[in-house]
Amino acid sequence: MSEPRGRRGLWLRWSWRDLRKRWPQVAAIAAIIALGSGIYSGFVSSSQWRRVSYDASYRQLAMYDLHVGLSQGSYVDASALTDAIRSIPSADRLQAVEPRLVGKTQVDASTADQTILVPGRIVGVDVGRDGPHVDRIAAETGRGLQPTDAGTDRAVLEYHFADFYGLAPAGTVHISGDRALRYVGQGLSPEYFMVRGDQGSLLAESNYAVLFVPLDTAGTLLGRPGQANDAVIRLRAGSDRAAIAAEVRTALTTAFPGVGFDVTRRGQDSIRRILYSDIAGDERLYNILALLTLLGASFAAFNLAGRMVEAQRREIGIGMALGVTPRKLAVRPLLVGAQIAALGAVLGVTVGLVVSWLMAGVLRSFFPLPVWEFPFQWGIFLRGAALGLVLPFLAVGWPVLRAVRVTPLEAIRTGANAPTHVSALARVPLPGRALDQMPVRNVLRTPRRTALTALGIGAAITVFVGVVGMLDSFTVTIDRTRTEILRGSPRRLDVSLDGFTTTGGSTVTAIAAAPGVAAVDTNLRVGGRLEHDGTRIDTLLTVLALDASQWKPTLDHRVDPDGRPGIVISAKAARDLGVAPGDIITLRHPRVTGPASFEYVRTPVRVIATSPLPTRFTAFMDTPDAAIMGLTGITNALEVEPKPGTSTAAVRRTLFEQPGVSSVQPVRSFTDSVSDALARFQSILTIIEGIVLLLALLIAFNSASINADERRRDHATMFAFGLPTRRVLRMAVIESALVGVLGTVIGVIGGLALLNWLITVQFASTFPDLGVVVSLSPRTVLIAAGLGIVAVSVAPLLGARRIRRMDIPSTLRVVE
Amino acid sequence: MSTPEAASEPLIRLTGVSRRYEVGGGTVTALADVDLSIGAGEFVVVLGPSGSGKTTLLNLVGALDVPSDGTIEIAGRAITGAGHPDLFRFRRETVSFVFQSFNLFPTLTALENVQFAIDVTRRRDHVRAAEILDRVGLGDRLGHFPGQLSGGEQQRVAIARALATGNPVLLADEPTGELDFRTGVQILELLHEQTHAGTTVLIVTHNREIARVADRVIELSSGHVVADGLPPGGQVPIAELHW
Repeated sequence: MSEPRGRRGLWLRWSWRDLRKRWPQVAAIAAIIALGSGIYSGFVSSSQWRRVSYDASYRQLAMYDLHVGLSQGSYVDASALTDAIRSIPSADRLQAVEPRLVGKTQVDASTADQTILVPGRIVGVDVGRDGPHVDRIAAETGRGLQPTDAGTDRAVLEYHFADFYGLAPAGTVHISGDRALRYVGQGLSPEYFMVRGDQGSLLAESNYAVLFVPLDTAGTLLGRPGQANDAVIRLRAGSDRAAIAAEVRTALTTAFPGVGFDVTRRGQDSIRRILYSDIAGDERLYNILALLTLLGASFAAFNLAGRMVEAQRREIGIGMALGVTPRKLAVRPLLVGAQIAALGAVLGVTVGLVVSWLMAGVLRSFFPLPVWEFPFQWGIFLRGAALGLVLPFLAVGWPVLRAVRVTPLEAIRTGANAPTHVSALARVPLPGRALDQMPVRNVLRTPRRTALTALGIGAAITVFVGVVGMLDSFTVTIDRTRTEILRGSPRRLDVSLDGFTTTGGSTVTAIAAAPGVAAVDTNLRVGGRLEHDGTRIDTLLTVLALDASQWKPTLDHRVDPDGRPGIVISAKAARDLGVAPGDIITLRHPRVTGPASFEYVRTPVRVIATSPLPTRFTAFMDTPDAAIMGLTGITNALEVEPKPGTSTAAVRRTLFEQPGVSSVQPVRSFTDSVSDALARFQSILTIIEGIVLLLALLIAFNSASINADERRRDHATMFAFGLPTRRVLRMAVIESALVGVLGTVIGVIGGLALLNWLITVQFASTFPDLGVVVSLSPRTVLIAAGLGIVAVSVAPLLGARRIRRMDIPSTLRVVE
Repeated sequence: MSTPEAASEPLIRLTGVSRRYEVGGGTVTALADVDLSIGAGEFVVVLGPSGSGKTTLLNLVGALDVPSDGTIEIAGRAITGAGHPDLFRFRRETVSFVFQSFNLFPTLTALENVQFAIDVTRRRDHVRAAEILDRVGLGDRLGHFPGQLSGGEQQRVAIARALATGNPVLLADEPTGELDFRTGVQILELLHEQTHAGTTVLIVTHNREIARVADRVIELSSGHVVADGLPPGGQVPIAELHW
């Protein structure tokens, strides 16, 4: 071997021995780096997969470019609708135009084992020429619709709903009026990649069923033969969507005066928007989680490097005395740092692959799509590995550079003459016996290490509090919603009619007289939009007797009427619009123009109160104000109170068979479906708790073993004086607990800040329609304390064997 | 001054004690078949060059190590074959240590370092750490941390810590090794004073000068006792030492 090669080999061998000497700490830091790097690679990869898969799924199912929706209650001839759209000046840009008929219904999908009675929707699609060709339906089980299904009772059941209840691939369901439909398969369609209920609840697959049927079948079922109230349009590549949307609007207004239309672009689809913005939001969260973990690793690496160079202080000084340059002296500890970082980064790739694999399963399970693609994300994994390599290595660099800057004389001094690095904090007078003071003194003697360890633990707790706190916040929000909705009359049933009818008409009378019904309140429910100073919020407006119904919404900050139409909006809507009770806003709402036609008009209305309900789209008006819609004395929704002693299920079944009823559901079903969705995330929570526990333990173990290493001479002296091992361990546990308390406090504060940001910024931008209350449950705080204090306190015990087996005589003579 | 064999029952008795270590595939004999008796109040110096086994002897007497063969009795207690808890108790109640590098706790003041020893041994005679420090001449340095004391002062604190246990045997491993001559002499004087109160002091050193002030010198070479008796040339007062 040539001399230079031998020398290079010497440094490597030397640093390798340093590494092996401290292998538990090295392993702990490498594990933390692996976690952080792996979390980044695995989770961020999953974000890419979602993006790629959504793109592919929307592409495969040819999601519309433009969507035409008639105002609620309006219907036109389906052919006339298509012709009107095709009459636009840019008709050559139209690739496909398909009319649809959409209507509310109730779906009875009960099996032998379970009663499944949920509100739903019938979507009539054009099956001609093997359609639909816009917003296609991908059959996940069984088959899709065929031209031969036209006019029959065959349907395709929406997959999320069917999957939630584990329904057979094909079968029979009953809809309102107890009519049977045979579903030939379960399918996915772009507008239902995430299921949203009529009342706005997301992830509503447990409480909302969609049935795709041929257009003429829908016409028969909904009593609207040959009619349509909806259309979807595909444009040729490169078309100006906004311009063509304007042309379509003009054409429809001309063709159907007195009918209101909404023409929206694909990007305005609420579900699509939520799905894509959720990716961006999740990516930001993953970046934060990975960064916090890698910071924990960096702090741990910093502590280890500090300890290593302190232990090598004399060797460094001797090297300097022998003329070795500081740069060369820095090589040995830097090599150790590089090896730790490299080990962590390589392990991180493995962790990343495992996380990716787990996430792939979670994604397929939680977000069924027709196309899932999982291309390996080289760039992301390389970035993750680079982060895992660079951050800890930089953290090692700082103490090393400081160490090689001391004078040789200072570095060589030992014993009485050795520079003692006891901080001023450690000299603060404390009460109690010397033995009792020692844990506190030890915490204070190395404030930088204490602070970095506490910050590392704090980072882990921040992750926990932030993520678990989100579920707490959703739970509190749902609970408050449930309290408001169920107040005074918890067994109420919400009955949707399949159209508008008079409040004293036969439909309402029949329902009021149905067996098991004690009382009926007639309401009106219409879609609209709140507008103020350029801000627009879609709303689901309920018109009811504000002071006389069985259930009356809580009205906060109510102002006296002033003769103008009044509206109660949610507190969230008020905040987003920048208004308060007493202010005037604009309500865009349907107004009847004919037996089956409504136009959209704008009416100034006065905000008379706010509602504590968290759903931004919730709004209420008093019954007399229905006049602005031309719907005085009209109803399309009822609230039914079952008789005492009668089960709500029996009343539901009775009403389901009533003509004119499209759905019957308990008023609590909205909150129950959200609770069901939240419960499915419990398994993810458990994984996060496990990761945080592991992270906190690794960080605490690393620090505890560095402390034990630094204080082994103190421990040997204590043993020489006969202090039992358990007493020494107890002191170490107390010391660890003190740092754990500090770390937990930092973590809870950091976690609250993270939680606040996640809810008020992140979640609010992705799901603006839900005003979530930032909340942390006592259980979460207790678990955080358990992780941050109890688990961390236990960390020194992992090194108990080493302490018990200490060679006391040799240790007493150690001179660093 | 005592004779090599104490008139009364010896405080420390080693019978056929050996200590062997397995090192690098071979066996190193640090001590070979040592028989010793040391009485109460003796000032004994264990002398020998590096590798002679003197520190091993100290560690065995202090129950920091266990012999490969033989028996050790200290103050009437057999410590060979004793379990860990008994050895710890033995150290709390019977021996105390003074180390070459002092081994003070850096985050405790002088007073607190001494208080530590009182707390560990749970002495019930309300001895005060301040008084002990005053006895060793550090009454005005109670609140100082080790880093703020000179080498000699640190060793005084270490001696005060050892004395605070009130244990009958004081073991000192090269107590003057890191000190200059004058300070080393002061430390020796302090240690010697403890024999007047009946404490048995056992000092391990390679410094032949120090052996001249001992009541008894046990000389080791390659693990064997090669001499055991009065200092060669007779015992001299500490004031006559020079190294």
